[in-house]
Amino acid sequence: MAVAYSLPSDVSPATVTNTRSLLRIIALALISGAAIASRLFAVINFESIIHEFDPWFNYRATRVLASEGFYEFWNWFDPTAWYPLGRVVGGTIYPGLMATSGVIYNVLHALHLPVDIRNICVLLAPGFSALTAWSTYMFTKEMKDESAGLLAAAFIGIVPGYISRSVAGSYDNEAIAIFLLMFTFFCWIKALKTGSALFGTLAALFYFYMVAAWGGYAFITNMIPLHSLALILMGRYSSRLYVAYSSWYAIGTLASMQVPFVGFQPVRTSEHMAALGVFGLLQIVAFAELVRTHVSSKQFQSLLYASVIGMGILGAGAIIGLTYKGWIAPWTGRFYSLWDTGYAKIHIPIIASVSEHQPTAWPSFFMDLHSLVFLFPAGVVMCFRQLRDEHVFVIIYAVVASYFAGVMVRLMLTLTPVVCVAAAIAFSSLLDTYIEPTEPDVADDSSGKIAETAPAVDAASSGSSTAVSASSSTAKKTKKAPTAPPSVSAVAAAMTPSKKGEKPRGIFGLDTRFIVLLNAVGMLLFFVLHCTWVTSTAYSSPSVVLASQNPDGSQHIIDDFREAYYWLRQNTPENSVVMSWWDYGYQIAGMADRATLVDNNTWNNTHIATVGKAMSSSEEVAYPILRKHDVDYVLIIFGGLLGYSGDDINKFLWMVRIAQGVWPDEIQEPNYFTPKGEYKVDDMASPTMKNSLMYKMSYYRFPELFGTSQAIDRVRGQQIPKAGTTLDYLDEAFTSENWIVRIYQVKKEDILGRDLKSANAFAQGKKRKRTKPPVRRKATV
Amino acid sequence: MAGPKTTASSVSSSSSANALQTLWKAYNDTTSPRLKLVDTFLVFLMLSGVVQFVYCILVTNFPFNAFLAGFGSCVGQFVLTASLRTQVNPTNRSEFKDVSPERAFAEFALGSIVLHFFVYNFLG
Amino acid sequence: MRSFWSLLASVVGLATLLVQAKSSSGDSVLVLLDPSLKRDDFSIFFSGLEEKGYDLTFRSPKDEEPVVIKDDYPQFSHVIIFAPETKSFPKDITPQSLVDLLSKDTNLLLALSPKQTPLTSLASEFSLITPPPGTPLVSHFPERDTPATVIPVNVSHTSPILTPGLPPVWFSGVPFALGTNPLLVPILNAPPESFATDSLGDSDADVVIEASEKGGEGLWAGSQLGLVAGFQPAGGARATWVGGVELFSDEFATKEVSSGVKSGNEQFAADIASWTFQESLVLRVDSIDHHRLNETAPREHYTTNDQIVFTTHISRYNPKTSAWEPYSGIQDLQLEFTMLDPHIRTALPPVPGKPGAYSVTFRAPDRHGVFKFVVDHKRRGWTHLHSSTVIPLVPPRHDEYPRFLSAAWPYYTGAISTSIGFIIFSALWLGGSESKKGKGSKVE
Repeated sequence: MAVAYSLPSDVSPATVTNTRSLLRIIALALISGAAIASRLFAVINFESIIHEFDPWFNYRATRVLASEGFYEFWNWFDPTAWYPLGRVVGGTIYPGLMATSGVIYNVLHALHLPVDIRNICVLLAPGFSALTAWSTYMFTKEMKDESAGLLAAAFIGIVPGYISRSVAGSYDNEAIAIFLLMFTFFCWIKALKTGSALFGTLAALFYFYMVAAWGGYAFITNMIPLHSLALILMGRYSSRLYVAYSSWYAIGTLASMQVPFVGFQPVRTSEHMAALGVFGLLQIVAFAELVRTHVSSKQFQSLLYASVIGMGILGAGAIIGLTYKGWIAPWTGRFYSLWDTGYAKIHIPIIASVSEHQPTAWPSFFMDLHSLVFLFPAGVVMCFRQLRDEHVFVIIYAVVASYFAGVMVRLMLTLTPVVCVAAAIAFSSLLDTYIEPTEPDVADDSSGKIAETAPAVDAASSGSSTAVSASSSTAKKTKKAPTAPPSVSAVAAAMTPSKKGEKPRGIFGLDTRFIVLLNAVGMLLFFVLHCTWVTSTAYSSPSVVLASQNPDGSQHIIDDFREAYYWLRQNTPENSVVMSWWDYGYQIAGMADRATLVDNNTWNNTHIATVGKAMSSSEEVAYPILRKHDVDYVLIIFGGLLGYSGDDINKFLWMVRIAQGVWPDEIQEPNYFTPKGEYKVDDMASPTMKNSLMYKMSYYRFPELFGTSQAIDRVRGQQIPKAGTTLDYLDEAFTSENWIVRIYQVKKEDILGRDLKSANAFAQGKKRKRTKPPVRRKATV
Repeated sequence: MAGPKTTASSVSSSSSANALQTLWKAYNDTTSPRLKLVDTFLVFLMLSGVVQFVYCILVTNFPFNAFLAGFGSCVGQFVLTASLRTQVNPTNRSEFKDVSPERAFAEFALGSIVLHFFVYNFLG
Repeated sequence: MRSFWSLLASVVGLATLLVQAKSSSGDSVLVLLDPSLKRDDFSIFFSGLEEKGYDLTFRSPKDEEPVVIKDDYPQFSHVIIFAPETKSFPKDITPQSLVDLLSKDTNLLLALSPKQTPLTSLASEFSLITPPPGTPLVSHFPERDTPATVIPVNVSHTSPILTPGLPPVWFSGVPFALGTNPLLVPILNAPPESFATDSLGDSDADVVIEASEKGGEGLWAGSQLGLVAGFQPAGGARATWVGGVELFSDEFATKEVSSGVKSGNEQFAADIASWTFQESLVLRVDSIDHHRLNETAPREHYTTNDQIVFTTHISRYNPKTSAWEPYSGIQDLQLEFTMLDPHIRTALPPVPGKPGAYSVTFRAPDRHGVFKFVVDHKRRGWTHLHSSTVIPLVPPRHDEYPRFLSAAWPYYTGAISTSIGFIIFSALWLGGSESKKGKGSKVE
């Protein structure tokens, strides 16, 4: 065989393997370092703070766990959340994340390293992202080989789709869930390949950990049965499948029911029925196979097949029947809205209103995945070419995840690992093909090129060494060290034509290799650049603190949220109750430490609708609701001065819709629009809109800022009437520096029992109209 | 291998009885005592599971967690033992290249211990 | 002469009776006295107050000192305004500042008059509807030799504020209609035959006839009108509105309603004053207590379905001893265990043998959440009692549920038998034949 460049031949195979493993370990270490480092932008730019909304609750729960111990945490009842209903935290959360942090905290303290719990929470996600990279490496190694594994690990280490949910400070369930997802899948594939019950048990244990950590465990619960079903239908049933699936299902399902939040769901809800169904089907098929080995008669076999199919249909019918009867719960709203995308907007407005639940736009695919999104289909096609059992898994995972990612932005996260794996497979096949030095033999001189050895070796080795040195010199190391290709003969066998006398197929010459490899390396470089840029600009802002630029270019920090929350914390009685829209509930609980009415858990739609009704009704209607719930302060977000578009007036229509869902007689959405159907806040706003509590609170004293000139709301771009709004039942308590957070205090009932509007009029000196005495009885004439 | 006689359908009943008898005979001849031990354990587990299920349906399914734990224990142990059986069966050697019978038993023991741990946690 | 001695004796007797009574909220009284009124004309009333121990400070509406409120602190515990002729009050006594005083626990005794004073506009804030200016109350019945505007009014026997058995009182002034505010406490209503009119001559009474033809609309007549009404604002202070200042005068106090029967004005005035100045019918909640049955210490939170014992101690102010004494006379005290709406509403009966203690044992509802123990007792004339204690009700801990149930023994036996079977099986396997490959390896 001719070679494009010659490999050193005096190296023993043992040295080669040792060097390869060493290089792999170094590469994995560098990838972990890159993964951790690229997630630290927020900590370096701002500070070590918990981001967003949900992580604040997780942080609070972890603080309780760290300070009071696991027993108290398991039974924790939070009387300050969802006042006055309270929240049974112990039974309504996924405790995996908090337990992990608690364990790390206790271990570090046992080693006398007094790390603050906040730092552990902030840095947990980057740490686990390194573990995710490693588990993706193991997973892809089963698919193709180690070099593809390293590529996949590198991809998932820095890809923005995963970074968005795992930056330092994003202390959310996905931080550890993606690691557990990939590792569970790896254990499953390994169990399937080897038929070992040990890996099945491991898969079950990590599945249990995943169930404890994230609500998205239903994805695994349905992926693995789907894979097994596909294998059975493809005729690839084998005892390994039986061993792997049965041990995973039996132990995993029983283990998953230990989590109180999951409880009996695995046997009572439709989302888990697929796993149960496939389990039953597998038992039937295994039994049929067993009997078949003992009897070879056709008659008996046909009888057996008939009975097998009959039992399968019977089982399916039983499940459907139980679902109709109600014994098995149908698909819950969250999951049902994935199939019927119009369902949520009509029936469960809360689910539809979350910005993460909106359908994905094409630009976000590119932003989150960059060039991987093009390599991804190629990788899936390559899986078709090989089509071992594990490749079927990747194909199914890819198809299912693509559908879900198209439905909801939030589910881009589940698509990202399979995209990395498939893209790595494709890319590594490309690299393998072009690094492989064998050239096909050619009879003609004109079409064959045999390169010189010495400069060719230099060029090739310099090509690979520059790659290595480039990776060692840049701060963000993402390149894998190109390893020597696997057994030359195997690849050569693939390269050489099967029929004699045909034109030989393969890659000739060094220059073709060089060009293609250069392009490939260039693509990887662009990928790294894009990922770093996206991470630093888009995904590394703690949404608690905003940053903008001064005219002279320096950074201007907008810290209104914390200013307001700390004002609440320091200036209000400890048992005050704060009402705000549910987005800010966790942050108020975490930073201001006050009781809130509703928060991001959104488990009680009626309570949220009550808050929505209070915000969208007039003061007279809202005041009894506020007093009934003992509300002391009302907090709203107003972005009109600064141009902050995530404020409550923009979310107002969702408040109306949710309230309308519970009180359709009192709140109607069309009332808040102008007769022409526009959403206006200036003088053309509808009377219902002008009288609503939210409008009054947002624009209270806003025109005073502008003096004599016209007041303009920068977000809506409309002019606010100069008269401004008046508030009778609330007092302004606090407005932050840029008017982003406004806090109002609810007035107590009037001392003389009057309604507060008349009381205010009296206090300002207005006289009441003379009235006549009430008629008690008619005079007899 | 003696199979059931492929007679006409008029003697189908006797042929099915014959088929079962032949099946039993074939089974007796081909399975080793070790596998027969496994099979008796499997039958016992199946009976125990059926009894619990019947009790659940007929009498009461409260407390549900105890039912799930008990039933799950039978089912789990059953599949683990069945897996052990397939792994140890010499006819399946080609499928289980990496798993020797000793390793199969070790995995079986480990899986069973994990299963029982969860069962007892869920029982009370 | 005899009448003089009897009068002196009764005054002395009354004085000795009242000499120890003092208010529960302070002794300083500011009296805003119109210059047209002489202090001596009200000597019985004022000396009665002074004998009780009040510290009276007199001020004319023209004076700037002493101010009634300074730096947001009220300077006096009680304020009496007898200013029927004044059109404008000093700067620190405005209707708004009077309401402010009420919110700062200062009690008010206010007198209206047929003339328009600043108090007339204030009365409407207390949901009292005053007649047009210049229309005093007039009654032609009963036959008497006083002018028509001086009317003897029978005192109702049911008001807890007044001493029972009071003879009729003389009244001269304006009536007012009572609105629907539940905080109003009617004390004295107009006689049924009386009406408000602006002239004494009946020829000008067209207004009255017109109103009666319209079905009583706009008619200021009858016993639905009030002459003396109390008001209990939220917060505990008390205000009393009197339709005319003459009720307190010496002349009316000594006038006879019928032969030999003195009017009840003196006692009536003293009763009103003692009610307004927080002497009589004053209650307070001393303490509240809650604990589980068979325990004594209160807990930070209770579990659903707990048996909870709630106790409250109520005292009443005794003006004679100037002390708070435990009071077990409330028969209809109620406890509400509330989360948004009362989940439990039960009677809180007095504990026999423990004066002042009211206690009840109840079972906490099956719903977890943040509840409040609410004691809310509002009765006309009595101090409003309100106490609210927040307590979380948590669900049972995970190990408080019954653990091993007898109904589940088949499952227990099943699980245990599986474990035993597993152990036996492993023992048999490991101790069994060493031939790893097994017999019968014939492939079919």
